[in-house]
Amino acid sequence: MSAWIEVGHFAALAALVLTVVQLVAPLAGIGLGRPVWIRVGRQAAFGVLLLLTVACAGVMASFLNHDFSVGYVAGHASRELPIFYLATALWGGHEGSLLLWVWLLSLFAAVAAWRHWSTHPLSMPWVLAILGATVLGFLLLVLFLSSPFERLFPPPADGRDLNPLLQDPGMVFHPPFLYLGYVGFAVPYAFAMAALITGQTGGEWILATRRWTLFAWAMLTIGIVFGAYWAYYELGWGGYWAWDPVENASFMPWLTATAFFHSVMVQERRGLFRTWNLFLIITTFALSLLGTFLVRSGVLSSVHAFATDPGRGVFILVFMTVILLFSFGLLTLRADRLKGEGQGRLENPLCRESAFLFNNLFLVVGALTVLLGTLFPLAVETLTDSKVSVGPPYFNQVFIPIMLGMLLLMGVGPILPWRRTPAGTLRRRFLIPGLVALAGLGGGWILGIGHPYGLAALALCLLVLSTHLDDLWQGTRARMRRDGAGALSALGRLVRRDKRRYGGLLTHLGLLVMVAGFIGSGLFQEERDLILQPGESTRIGEWRLTFTAMGSAARHNWVADEALVRAERGSLVLELRPQKRVYNTGRSQPTTEAAIHTTWLEDLYVVIGDPVGETGRAFRIYRNPLVAWVWWGSGIMGLGVLLALFQGRRLSRTRAVVA
Amino acid sequence: MGWKLTLLGVVAGILFLFALGLNNDPRHIPSPLVDRPAPDFAGPALDGGDPLTLSALRGRWVLVNFWGSWCVSCVAEHPYLLELDRQTRSRNDFVILGVDFKDTVDGGRAFLARHGTPSYRHVVDPEQKIAIDWGVFGAPESFLVDPEGRIRLKHVGPLYRGWFERVALPLMTSGGGKPS
Repeated sequence: MSAWIEVGHFAALAALVLTVVQLVAPLAGIGLGRPVWIRVGRQAAFGVLLLLTVACAGVMASFLNHDFSVGYVAGHASRELPIFYLATALWGGHEGSLLLWVWLLSLFAAVAAWRHWSTHPLSMPWVLAILGATVLGFLLLVLFLSSPFERLFPPPADGRDLNPLLQDPGMVFHPPFLYLGYVGFAVPYAFAMAALITGQTGGEWILATRRWTLFAWAMLTIGIVFGAYWAYYELGWGGYWAWDPVENASFMPWLTATAFFHSVMVQERRGLFRTWNLFLIITTFALSLLGTFLVRSGVLSSVHAFATDPGRGVFILVFMTVILLFSFGLLTLRADRLKGEGQGRLENPLCRESAFLFNNLFLVVGALTVLLGTLFPLAVETLTDSKVSVGPPYFNQVFIPIMLGMLLLMGVGPILPWRRTPAGTLRRRFLIPGLVALAGLGGGWILGIGHPYGLAALALCLLVLSTHLDDLWQGTRARMRRDGAGALSALGRLVRRDKRRYGGLLTHLGLLVMVAGFIGSGLFQEERDLILQPGESTRIGEWRLTFTAMGSAARHNWVADEALVRAERGSLVLELRPQKRVYNTGRSQPTTEAAIHTTWLEDLYVVIGDPVGETGRAFRIYRNPLVAWVWWGSGIMGLGVLLALFQGRRLSRTRAVVA
Repeated sequence: MGWKLTLLGVVAGILFLFALGLNNDPRHIPSPLVDRPAPDFAGPALDGGDPLTLSALRGRWVLVNFWGSWCVSCVAEHPYLLELDRQTRSRNDFVILGVDFKDTVDGGRAFLARHGTPSYRHVVDPEQKIAIDWGVFGAPESFLVDPEGRIRLKHVGPLYRGWFERVALPLMTSGGGKPS
């Protein structure tokens, strides 16, 4: 037993006090006209970060010391847990996850207070206060309703261990990235609210938060993909996305954030969509909160019985009500003032502005359909006495058409000029991509893609690919001619000059790769469910699989039944070893460890089931075409965002001169 | 003007839905067996005494609790069952009946020896025949059977402190008649 947890607890309590200072002092500074109070608020934000860092360290140290007298440690670790998972078990459960959330929020608040202090003096007090209020709400929850700092008496000799499914690198990285995304939107949100309050609703807040939004979006993307990857190779059901409420909760803010940083470009360029952009960023943050709460409170899923802990639920609901009504209420109150300032309007249906308009329409409708599908079971259960679940059939039916529409816009939008498109440009730029898309349609038909969605997606992907490559080629050629440089160096210069645009295009290409993966694994997955005796074999795709024998495997904290499966394709011979693992000598459900062989064209995915008879074994075998493209595509998207992030403020300054 | 009201209305509607949703018990699962006659069963007793049948308990409310020594959540649930047993032992209108399924007699007895033996009895169901009849897919699961032998409630997962007062008693005091 060590005192680390008390150190952490005390630090968190002190942070609570400082958070109140961070909330009140800047407001007092404005009210009393005393700038020094605003500075106090800023120092408080730094202090909160420091104290919450100590609080997290306290919990982590308790894990590392195997201090099972701490309830949270006893519930999520054991003596046998490897040190890597011990150090990251902080976010293995509800209480610690919330602590991580609030720590990240305090980190971002401190960074915002540091970076934007001199550049945005008018917004700063409000930003400090709003972020302070958010930290305060979460900290109250962490300290009084789901505390990771509580001691157990008497302390158990050993802990109940971390859920074996979470003992996986995918799950170690999934929550922090997801939270970086969720929390990252808090800063743009705070700036947007500050802009609404102070009436500075020009583009300033958008320029200030451009990098924050991109960063948060990239983190959210990575977090979602990590989660999908984990579901794919740890849960053993052959897929990676099930439209589960928990997954939808992270996907909705992703959609609205995507809409946001597209429509922001229209405001920067043309001064349009001002109210809309404020609405989008508020909605994105609100959906991030909703996501955290849906997952963390158990309103929707049954992981934590909610009825047994009504206090937590009521607090969360009150907190959300305050934030939502404050934000959206302010938006509606101030909306009329915003309208007067808009300078432009849509002049022509065929221009980049309207492409962005439709892009937003699709994304927001997409988010709405996901929201509807996620909340519908809750509504049915609440209003009637039955249960329904809304599964993949609904989501696929409504979402795939929306995705196809997005692809079409992605192919068209980036190369349409602003304001209006002359007919000649249209013909010149779309003739070849259009032909390529048509050729893809025919080629796909010949190759035997019968599904209309598959064909449409293939054609649209080719359209996007060819318009994007054509755009790059046109730009490079112009540079080559002007500078007399080689193709590669011209391309490099082109990209360096407008990292934001080319980062965006690269992100599009990454999404394209992912879409290819979705089509391949979604439409062409093959599945075999069968019982094999040792020595028997089966075929799937070009593979021939033979069940050789059962064996066993063990590490210090698990034992496993292991099937030895020989997989042959032509001259290639592999040995796959799918497992059923039991952690910690039978204290939990066995987990499935799929054996996956990945090639760039397909994954061979083998899972074992229960024993059948004396020697037989149930097997489930999948051939998942192009599944790896989903992961690579997300990597390319990450690179694209990274490129766009490197675009400094220079761009905004030149724009300001032009305007 | 219209969009403002719509926006605020949607936000308020979602919040209102959540407020109502707070009262939902995610462990309360509608089962096709609810309000149907409970499938009767007879089987050997875990304590080695006379065999037990459900129909012998007709005339009283019966809490049928499915468990197994292999089940982790049953360990968490057990203290409440012991407490509920103490609390309701003197009632003549309520009785608990355990079903130890997918388990060995030794395993079940060892579990009770380790975690506490209640005064109520248990049927052993090693081949899960009862569990399959009752549509049990995990443990613990509990059913509340009324004096006429109809299943009135299914609860998936551990019973929690206060469950009896909050869920079972209101049903029992509403006269045992069929709810709306």
